[in-house]
Amino acid sequence: MYEYDDFDADFVRARVARFRAQVERRLEGALTEEEFRPLRLLNGLYLQLHGYMLRVAIPYGTLNGRQMRQLAMIAERWDKGYGHFTTRQNVQFNWPRLSDVPDMLEALAEVGMHAIQTSGNTIRNVTADHFAGAAADEIEDPRPHAELLRQWSTDHPEFQFLPRKFKIAITGSPHDRAVTRANDIGLRMVRGPGGESGFEVSVGGGLGRTPVAGRVIRPFLPAADLLPYVEAIVSTYNMLGRRDNKYKARIKITLLEHGPEALTARIEERFAQLRREFRGTDRQMLARIRRQFAPPPFEEKPLAPYEAARAADPVFRAWTDTNLTPHRRADHAIVTVSLKAPGATPGDATSAQMRLLADLAGKYGHDELRISHEQNIILPHVHRADLPALHAALRGAGLATANIGLASDIIACPGMDYCALATARSIPVARGIAARIGELKLEHEIGPLKIRISGCINACGHHHVGHIGILGLDRAGVENYQITLGGDGTETFAIGKRAGPGFAHDEIVPAVERLLRAYLQLRRDRRETFIETFRRLGGAPFRAALYPSKDKADAA
Amino acid sequence: MPLEAPLPPIRERVAELNRRYRHHSAAAVLEHALNDPLVGPVALVSSFGAESVVLLHLVSTIDRSLPVIFLDTEMLFPETLAYQRAVSERLGLGDVRVIRPDREALFARDPDALLYRSDPDACCALRKSEPLARALEGFDAWITGRKRFQGKARAALELFEDEGGRRIKINPLAHWSPRDVQDYIVNNRLPRHPLVGRGYPSIGCRVCTTPAGESEPPRAGRWRGSDKEECGIHFLGGRAVPGPAPKTVIVTDTGFASDDWTGPWLTPEALERAGRGAALDIGPETDLGQLAGHLEALAMIRVNFPAFSDGRGFTIARQLRRMGYRGRLRAGGHLIADQYAMARRSGFDEVEIAADLAERQPQEHWLARADWQQGDYQSRLREGF
Repeated sequence: MYEYDDFDADFVRARVARFRAQVERRLEGALTEEEFRPLRLLNGLYLQLHGYMLRVAIPYGTLNGRQMRQLAMIAERWDKGYGHFTTRQNVQFNWPRLSDVPDMLEALAEVGMHAIQTSGNTIRNVTADHFAGAAADEIEDPRPHAELLRQWSTDHPEFQFLPRKFKIAITGSPHDRAVTRANDIGLRMVRGPGGESGFEVSVGGGLGRTPVAGRVIRPFLPAADLLPYVEAIVSTYNMLGRRDNKYKARIKITLLEHGPEALTARIEERFAQLRREFRGTDRQMLARIRRQFAPPPFEEKPLAPYEAARAADPVFRAWTDTNLTPHRRADHAIVTVSLKAPGATPGDATSAQMRLLADLAGKYGHDELRISHEQNIILPHVHRADLPALHAALRGAGLATANIGLASDIIACPGMDYCALATARSIPVARGIAARIGELKLEHEIGPLKIRISGCINACGHHHVGHIGILGLDRAGVENYQITLGGDGTETFAIGKRAGPGFAHDEIVPAVERLLRAYLQLRRDRRETFIETFRRLGGAPFRAALYPSKDKADAA
Repeated sequence: MPLEAPLPPIRERVAELNRRYRHHSAAAVLEHALNDPLVGPVALVSSFGAESVVLLHLVSTIDRSLPVIFLDTEMLFPETLAYQRAVSERLGLGDVRVIRPDREALFARDPDALLYRSDPDACCALRKSEPLARALEGFDAWITGRKRFQGKARAALELFEDEGGRRIKINPLAHWSPRDVQDYIVNNRLPRHPLVGRGYPSIGCRVCTTPAGESEPPRAGRWRGSDKEECGIHFLGGRAVPGPAPKTVIVTDTGFASDDWTGPWLTPEALERAGRGAALDIGPETDLGQLAGHLEALAMIRVNFPAFSDGRGFTIARQLRRMGYRGRLRAGGHLIADQYAMARRSGFDEVEIAADLAERQPQEHWLARADWQQGDYQSRLREGF
């Protein structure tokens, strides 16, 4: 994985020093609050409900054991002993003091990490497929491109004061695990006519209050043109994006207002100018970065211990059935460690858990860890022979929950418990659903299901792309939860549709249960998943299950 | 339009309006001013003088029903009265209000109509300032045609002025040059005041106006032989009310300096007749396409940032350099010290800042980023590493 060179290391250190000076200048009055605000946001520092929140980037979701241990140390020393992994491959510390933040940033810089551009109206931390470089279905590891984009976007002089935030996601696999269509720019790797790799470029995706699927403006962009093309998009947006209304400032609205053809024409025109400015140095840099993403030295050893454990231990077998993903080497596996144990807050990890995972990555996983947008932690390269030992260690720490991709593997935003913008609680709803599913013991029967919960219309919990999406709103001071159905964040991207009137806080868990029971009734057989059944039958039978009395009334 | 809340104080609104519309064209300023929720009911005050037709025409293209106040001092040239009727009709102005001095006051204070000889200020007060004050009652703002080039007292004129906390004065043409005015009249085929052709570049009352020579300032013919410059309607408490003195500081890699540019700033509209070595002022809305072909001749371009959080100027700078502009490039407006490196990396040579910001963010805050060439990912990715 990518190691900072002197340039990167000097950059983050200088940046911390500058931020330290900015904090001092704010306190002295040289910077007004209005001036300081975007500067702190550009360094990942938010003002939240209880105080400051520091959002740290985990570029393309990749980190090593040393970095994970440093996160654990930071959480213990300056926060409350845990961190919250987010849906954009960041980790958030919810309780820092402003005066400590420069020290926290310095601790991050020591291990080649930062909080740069995790907030603010700028290009945010670039996200990528969390299985990159390991997945069996991958065309190419997208992370060298993501790292190139990180360098290009970092402190880009033109793009620190855009009309609004700007998100880029990249995947190297035809299976989209990076929700690329929900980003301002989505890059999906495809092969060109000559078999060379390139990107399908989509623009203007986003969730939030106006959910839109990104629109493909370039079916095939040669990989070598990535930086000039992305710069052309952002540069065009910087000039055209609205600055009079923050709710209409994202590029998805620019696209709607100017029309995709006109916007694409401007982008292509700018691209033609910019292409001349990138004369190959960027590609040399890419080659250099790529060398650092060379696969680890995989080990050859017998699979017998793995097969034996599977045969002997049903708990281990259940875990391998749900929490493993095929690795590009058949004798290895990608292990997803669930942060969604019953009663846990989705995405939260304690310092002890972080340290354990760092140790296990060192022992069994070539010192590599990933954070997924689904708020779990991944060991991407584990030899199958090591899985029994790994499982035992996880189990001892309460990290062996076998629910990846299942109903209790819920994405939930922090909600009203932490967030100043939230209009309803989301974590208690996630916990309630997970607990109910646990009681029913139906999770494995139900199979693959994505439940996503947001505590306000900004949709940080990705509810629009949940098979079952839940949106918490405030109706005259009372929490009210709306259900959307049929959303999908993958290559078969779809925005979920609202099912009908919302539910009170104490009604939402039973409502979800009715949906799950309806699915079990409606599916053709065990192989047909929830989303497949939904697509076959449409929303009507699910809505009937959600609103039974109304249905009876209609029938009468 | 009903307002949801009482408007904030004039001073704050004027500052905000100047910030908001600083880089807008006259037409845009007018159009916005007539629709901006920060501005209440508006009237245009016109003398129907030598250049008045420009503003009257601009208004007629936006809202013909806007109240137009014309002050008939009863000392005007008959040509002005005829011109007023002709122009009003031609432009279809629907609400021209001819305001005359108060009868009783006139009998009491100037029965012989000779006050102008003994006390021109008192005459102006009686025949212009007082009637205007009455006519403007109930208006939140008024539009004037004053321009910076018209004289010392108007040299620092802003688009929006605070009239003593009572009312907003809107000066959409503040930045226009004499040439801009003439071009506008020609291009729109507007009727000229008949006295202009007879040597009157500025026209007031017949008793106090004489022709001005070509080498004289345009208002030289007004109150000739006295040091009076203004009639009084643009005075406040007996004192001329210029805009705030535009003192700025120029920041470069070597620190602070005062502005060495003393020449005029052209608007893009004036580009066609710009000579070599001219300086151009542009804002984020400027269409860079219209600058093509002129870049070689320009000595300086100032790109104005309406707010420090509006990053369009950075892309404009890059684009100007990309178009081949090699002259001096200045970032104007509201950048802060923390943006100095961004400005330099985008292609700016210098940043112009207001004196109060220079005080709050002294030279060392800016010099801290004189190292902007260090740690620049862009140059590493474009030029080598």
